[in-house]
Amino acid sequence: MNDLFEDFDEISELAEGLNDAAPGGRIMAVIELADSADPAAIPYLAKAIVDADAGVRKQAAIAFTDFDGPETSAALVGALSDTDPSVIEAATVSLTELKDPAAGDSILPHLESEDPVKLAACFLGIKELRRSEALGPAIKALHHQAYEVRIQAVGVIGWLQDETALPALREATKDAEPKVRRTALSALGFSKSDHAEVTLITGLDDPEWIVREAAAETLAKSGGTACLAPLRAALKDDFWQVRLKAVRSLGKLNAIEAAMEIGPMMEIPVPNLRKECAAVLGELAVPETVQFLEKFADDTDPDVRKNVRWALGKLAA
Amino acid sequence: MDEILDSSNTLECDILIIGGGTAGPMAALKAKKKNPKANVVLLDKANVKRSGAISMGMDGLNNSVIPGYATPEQYTKEITIANDGICDQAAVYRYAEECYGIIQELDSFGIRFQKDENGEYDVKKVHHIGTYVLPMPNGDTVKKALYRQLRKARINIVNRYMATRLLTGEGRVAGAICVNTRTAEFLTVKAKAVIMGLGAAGRLGLPTSGYLYGTYENATNSGEGYAMAYHAGAGLANLECYQINPLIKDYNGPACAYVAGPLGGYTANAKGERFIECDYWSGQMMQEFYDELQGGKGPVYLKLNHLAEETVAEIERVLHIVERPTRGHFHAGRGTDYRKQMIEMHISEIGFCSGHSASGVFVDEHARTTIPGLYAAGDMANVPHNYMLGAFTNGAFAGLDAAEFIEDVDFASFDEGEVIAERDRVLAPTKRDDGIPPNQIEYKTRRLVNDYLQPPKVTAKMELAQQRFEEVREDMEQGMYVRDAHELMRALEASTILDCAEMAAAASMYRTESRWGLYHNRVEYERDDENWFCHTILTKGADGKPTHKKQEVKPYIVEIEDDEKDAYYKQRVTSTVAAE
Amino acid sequence: MPLAQTATTVPVVVNDDLCIADKGCTVCVDVCPLDVLRIAVKDDGTKTAYMKYDECWYCMPCEADCPTDAVTVNLPYLLK
Repeated sequence: MNDLFEDFDEISELAEGLNDAAPGGRIMAVIELADSADPAAIPYLAKAIVDADAGVRKQAAIAFTDFDGPETSAALVGALSDTDPSVIEAATVSLTELKDPAAGDSILPHLESEDPVKLAACFLGIKELRRSEALGPAIKALHHQAYEVRIQAVGVIGWLQDETALPALREATKDAEPKVRRTALSALGFSKSDHAEVTLITGLDDPEWIVREAAAETLAKSGGTACLAPLRAALKDDFWQVRLKAVRSLGKLNAIEAAMEIGPMMEIPVPNLRKECAAVLGELAVPETVQFLEKFADDTDPDVRKNVRWALGKLAA
Repeated sequence: MDEILDSSNTLECDILIIGGGTAGPMAALKAKKKNPKANVVLLDKANVKRSGAISMGMDGLNNSVIPGYATPEQYTKEITIANDGICDQAAVYRYAEECYGIIQELDSFGIRFQKDENGEYDVKKVHHIGTYVLPMPNGDTVKKALYRQLRKARINIVNRYMATRLLTGEGRVAGAICVNTRTAEFLTVKAKAVIMGLGAAGRLGLPTSGYLYGTYENATNSGEGYAMAYHAGAGLANLECYQINPLIKDYNGPACAYVAGPLGGYTANAKGERFIECDYWSGQMMQEFYDELQGGKGPVYLKLNHLAEETVAEIERVLHIVERPTRGHFHAGRGTDYRKQMIEMHISEIGFCSGHSASGVFVDEHARTTIPGLYAAGDMANVPHNYMLGAFTNGAFAGLDAAEFIEDVDFASFDEGEVIAERDRVLAPTKRDDGIPPNQIEYKTRRLVNDYLQPPKVTAKMELAQQRFEEVREDMEQGMYVRDAHELMRALEASTILDCAEMAAAASMYRTESRWGLYHNRVEYERDDENWFCHTILTKGADGKPTHKKQEVKPYIVEIEDDEKDAYYKQRVTSTVAAE
Repeated sequence: MPLAQTATTVPVVVNDDLCIADKGCTVCVDVCPLDVLRIAVKDDGTKTAYMKYDECWYCMPCEADCPTDAVTVNLPYLLK
């Protein structure tokens, strides 16, 4: 009768396939070991990840997504030094699947690695484990020459949400690489400090729109009163995406003084932006803005129209 | 493989879970956790590793109710409005209260949800009122993560067995009859409780491509849950509320407004203008879509070409990796690029699926059907607008309740003659020397579904459908022929599809009003709250044909103000065909 | 009433040189939700996977899970 059920074979039996002369047989053994989801398979997979054949090594790196803990992370970190790029790629993905903070034990010693690919992967892996010991190396790595490393280091700092790291994050918002600046600005969202706000305000003048967009968006979380004037200035940004986030943040910050500037923006022929403006005018509910809204109560764009009518309802209440 | 063997086995277990896709694995894990001594068996006609609607993953949650972004009250209200008020709120409300816990549990399984740069859930706004969309950047690993948990919990998994009929006795469920999809061997499972998570009826209508398997739903979901519940005597609710979805034409995959929407993409008409009025993914929205297509303003498109390169790249990354990764192949083959062209959309074939509508096997807030000991969850149960998270959450409810149910009962006795009769029915196509292959029975049924059942619904056409279905049934029962066990599985699916088609016609004929926008647009009837503000429950009558009754909508937990009920009707510039 | 033999082009293609079915691999056959793949014995006696039934939802687990990247899922011709 039990033939009907999927097997729960002894791990040592499954592992015998790792001695197969042909790589294909060893790959199959790795897959079966992974499917077992039994931690007893980890030592065998740790051998498979240093197999002579790259296909077996890659499969072992994938197999480790089914496991967690320091032995798993140790094997994966080792695979980051593989000669075959497909093995490194698989190991990098598997590192992001770790959940157990103890898995960080095997990653922490590698946070000063000379190899930028390995270093970036290690930061990426330890980010979600939120190990406070990673903060120092991450701050140090903000000066690494490879931006891929810097961006992951910023990620680690952002997830730790440690106010003492604010100076480092602020430094990172001046990075040469826009993607690092954007990530660093978004990472400031946890802080309500004046320093975070000032840094985000500076971000509104960044030469890259994706950075300005992140600054405008994050001010909804970290902004106080100082950012209101700069956000209002951002309403004239060349990019509608930045304007949209500025409008949204001004709404969330209840900046009624911005209402008469948002009103005329209803004329801009970008439906996504007009829709957001209408919603925010409703949130701010400044009586003088009725004139701007009424004009668009029968707008041809349904989403704009809906938000306008909703806003007019709010204003009437 | 595939050779037909003459053999049968029996198996006893406390809880049999049929369907290893989304709801089933969660039900198994919860039942086992609550009662570690319970013998839980998870059965699937495919392999649990990659079975069900989310075989390849899912790009996000469409209906997450996360504290700080939405409340259970708000969610229940929106779902009630989206379903034209025909909604027992208890199940929706319980889902809304408990789904956040399920999200956290899935997160602990290694299923990732998008987080911001501080590691907090990054919920996106799509709906007008609440905020429910939570992207899943590694949504391609969902099944792998679930499978891992099943193995860790040492759940007994039976792959490649297809359940064909439920067994009942003593007024409750007694088990199920199953057949191996590769050997045609029989398996009779005696169980104290049975949980069904068999997915949508996805092979009901025929896609416009004409390819039988080019369906919106995973084509493996052919509706066995509905047919088995029907033949066992369970009630099925509101089957006339079809599922019809907007999708990429020909590819027939979702257009993913939920992914593109928060990033500025939208559905546009030929002029590139937004036209959808409705805030909710609902029959009303589909009616608007249909009107645009029929009204000379089509084709209808997914419009992303106004977005910046960075944004399009992000949308592409999600859409082409997760859920339906061949979408990238499709666009490459056509030479279409989101940056340059709008992508042609269309409406899907009809189906049953509560993931996006409100029809299905009737269940309460514990996922109990009308038969004691029998549960249903996911796309086949009637909790409206379930989506994937609903399948997980309601699957959990089913598992928890079943674990309690089995404490006090033994196996129900049943009539052994039913097993013999089912065996004869199932094997009949293997006993002939020639005849009609299942794919032709299926094609004809589904072609008739398109011809006569697709909305707008017309009484005379549906009557014709019923007549033609009977002819096909006669052909199927007297002349269907299969050559191997694989074809036998298809033959059983063809039979299920015909059952579902007959139920769709019967349910649509019964409700003599229009409701749920396009889903039940009966051209001869207006919406009629006085007579039809109720569920319709379809069961199998004594004559073997569907019989119907009305069932009251339970008193609301969350009141809906009169002006909210028709919130978006008032926002129109012009009324649609349905509203006229 | 004999059955006709009507040819169809199938969407799932397997590269025999990469396929390790001969080593007992059945990953693609196992993961197909519609169970349309099978293992064939080639003229030289070795084994390879192939698509036996044209019933494909082009969902991709066979391609994604193949350990040697031997499987390619094309769109079925009728809808491509």
